[in-house]
Amino acid sequence: MTGIYDLVPVIALLPLVSFVVALFAGKYLPKKGALAGIAATGGSLVLSLLVALTVATGDTAGYNETLYTFLEGSGSAPFSLELGVLVDPLSALMLVIVSLISFLVHVFSLGYMNDEGETGLPRYYAGLGLFSFSMLAFVFASNILMAFMFFELVGLCSYLLIGFWFREAGPPSAAKKAFLVTRFGDYFFLVGVVAIFATFGTGAFAGSESFPHLAEQALHGEHAVNTFLGLGEQAWFTVIGLLVLGGVMGKSAQFPLHTWLPDAMEGPTPVSALIHAATMVAAGVFLVARMYGFYALSPTALGVIAFVGGFTALFAATMGVVKQELKQVLAYSTISQYGYMMLALGGGGYVAAVFHLTTHAVFKALLFLGAGSVIIAMHHNENMWDMGGLKEKMPVTYWTFLAGSLALAGIFPFAGFWSKDEVLYETLIHGLGESPLLLGGYAMGLLAVVFTGFYTFRMVFLTFHGEPRTDVAEDPEPVRWNVKGPLVVLGVLATVLGAINMVPVKKLVGADIDFLHQFLDEAPSGFLTSVHHYTELLEVEAGYGAADIGTTGLLASAALSLGLALAGAGLAYRLYNVPEPVEHTDRLGRVKTLLMHNYYQDEFQVWLATGLTVPVAKAANTFDQGIIDGVVDGISTASRFAGRGVRRIQTGVVRNYAALLTLGLVLLVAFFGVTGGWF
Amino acid sequence: MIETQWYLLLSAAVFSIGLFGILVRESALIYLMSIELMLNAANINLVAFSLQHGNLTGQVFALFGMALAAAEVAIGLGIILVLYRNFETIDVTVPTTMRW
Repeated sequence: MTGIYDLVPVIALLPLVSFVVALFAGKYLPKKGALAGIAATGGSLVLSLLVALTVATGDTAGYNETLYTFLEGSGSAPFSLELGVLVDPLSALMLVIVSLISFLVHVFSLGYMNDEGETGLPRYYAGLGLFSFSMLAFVFASNILMAFMFFELVGLCSYLLIGFWFREAGPPSAAKKAFLVTRFGDYFFLVGVVAIFATFGTGAFAGSESFPHLAEQALHGEHAVNTFLGLGEQAWFTVIGLLVLGGVMGKSAQFPLHTWLPDAMEGPTPVSALIHAATMVAAGVFLVARMYGFYALSPTALGVIAFVGGFTALFAATMGVVKQELKQVLAYSTISQYGYMMLALGGGGYVAAVFHLTTHAVFKALLFLGAGSVIIAMHHNENMWDMGGLKEKMPVTYWTFLAGSLALAGIFPFAGFWSKDEVLYETLIHGLGESPLLLGGYAMGLLAVVFTGFYTFRMVFLTFHGEPRTDVAEDPEPVRWNVKGPLVVLGVLATVLGAINMVPVKKLVGADIDFLHQFLDEAPSGFLTSVHHYTELLEVEAGYGAADIGTTGLLASAALSLGLALAGAGLAYRLYNVPEPVEHTDRLGRVKTLLMHNYYQDEFQVWLATGLTVPVAKAANTFDQGIIDGVVDGISTASRFAGRGVRRIQTGVVRNYAALLTLGLVLLVAFFGVTGGWF
Repeated sequence: MIETQWYLLLSAAVFSIGLFGILVRESALIYLMSIELMLNAANINLVAFSLQHGNLTGQVFALFGMALAAAEVAIGLGIILVLYRNFETIDVTVPTTMRW
């Protein structure tokens, strides 16, 4: 029987078809491949929704099958390398998010790219198609090797799309940077993948033969695994977890590998929306969530994740405060928000992280598409100081953008409030419980809330409020339905999406309305990917006990994060919601210079390359040329020199040889004569 | 009957004449003749010992030696011909280009 689960590969293959169509037939099509992309991602969206519905209501809430084995295990390598499909609530949810955002981005591109008369559109839509394909296949990957392959494809697509305007100076360099920085993280990921195969002999994510489960059994001595470097099981699993985390930090733009992301704003805005909301950047966090059963075994790895996440959330938020370009502010907010997700994962809040991933995908896509709409209106000027007063001119964009901003800042009752509050709450209760170190990450996350509220509303007020500061802002270019449509869809979602997991309300009134939690918990028990399994692992293996801070604590936590967000937003309101705003951040003085230069992270990394790596490479080259090659060359020079002298005895005159032969014979005879006693 | 050592003395004399020819003369033709003398000195030795031991093997070897000498002369004359074509001379001290 052909169930809906058999169609899961089609979800990814449809965008692949649109990639091929756009690439080879795009220039003959009326919209240069856009319609093929819209049809394909629309189809993917419908199928994804059906899959998610089946997971939620069907008899079996999961599917884990091998599609194709490209290397059979044998002999000394007893594991198979295969492509497979794993559908559980997590991947079903992510499939919906990715195909939804991708679909809306395709529609939006009609307005942003086609209506603006861009050239090279087939290449653009081919890139979008391949991007969607890679991400969707990554999401339902059933083993870590397949995940790695599509993880890399996602990186390649982001390179192609960020560098779409390759004739200008900025985009190609930004594309290269994105590629190289994420690749740096992926080296560690690749080593981690090999380590997982070497340790467990399998890369499967789910099931009783999966590596998270084998690792769990190994910790209890029920299953033997190969560990390396003389480390015990626990320490070795931590090493593997941190290696894989390298790839996650590169893709999800976590400190210190975040520097590529702000530069990636050079790409077309719909691509930014796709990268930040649903594909490239989400891939990292999704990977941690995917193998959470493994990370939950290692409190050290979880601690590192929480701290990196908390620090990144705060660090990026401070930089967002001073940026002058609309998309730059959004870029830093993305880094910061992914920091929250990492904080939640490290802090034991698996559901909170997935929840924030979901809501963030919606409101960040909304904000980027809204920014794209503003950019169209402003004739591609992105400087917020040239805007102002757009509120009356473009109401649809304004109201939807406002909804997205309220969600980003975490203001009640928008989607971001619920998810960010849950992130902080989960970290807090686990921190107060048995892992006090998490409180450091919590504090950083909490502080970042203020900055988030501030930069978000600084952006909103500068862009939409006050008086128009340039002629273009006086008379912006109107946008069409294909821009407004996606904005409205996402605006509504950003407003109401918090309803899928209102944990605080549930705890207050006792109603059973934490739908996302229940949905994620429906994973078949054999998969070992359900929420209660993770909770159990966290408590038993990582020692993550949750403190009971009661209803009062819950309300206090929510009120605290909301209050801080409102404080930041209020400050922005005081400073920037005036007819003629001035750059108040100038008062920060040298701190502003530091922030504008992104803490000199770029300079530092360039110094690492030119100041440290190049001299080391030169020294290594000198050693290679001088010492290694020198010994080899010396030996050959010595023998050549000796040969030049010795060859003189070869005269070429046959008589000399005969004379030497005779002489030798005479000497031999004389020798035997003397020693033999002939004389 | 003549004693064997006389044959050996004859053989040594013939060999030394051949060797002397190789060491002092320059003409390739003289070389060929000298080599012929040295080969035949060896044949004399073989026949002489064959006679002393009453065993025909030595004489068979001498016949082989003569056939060998004939073949060697054929090749040697060919070499001399090539030598002359290339160097306009059959002086063996002139062609020294095949060393290094």
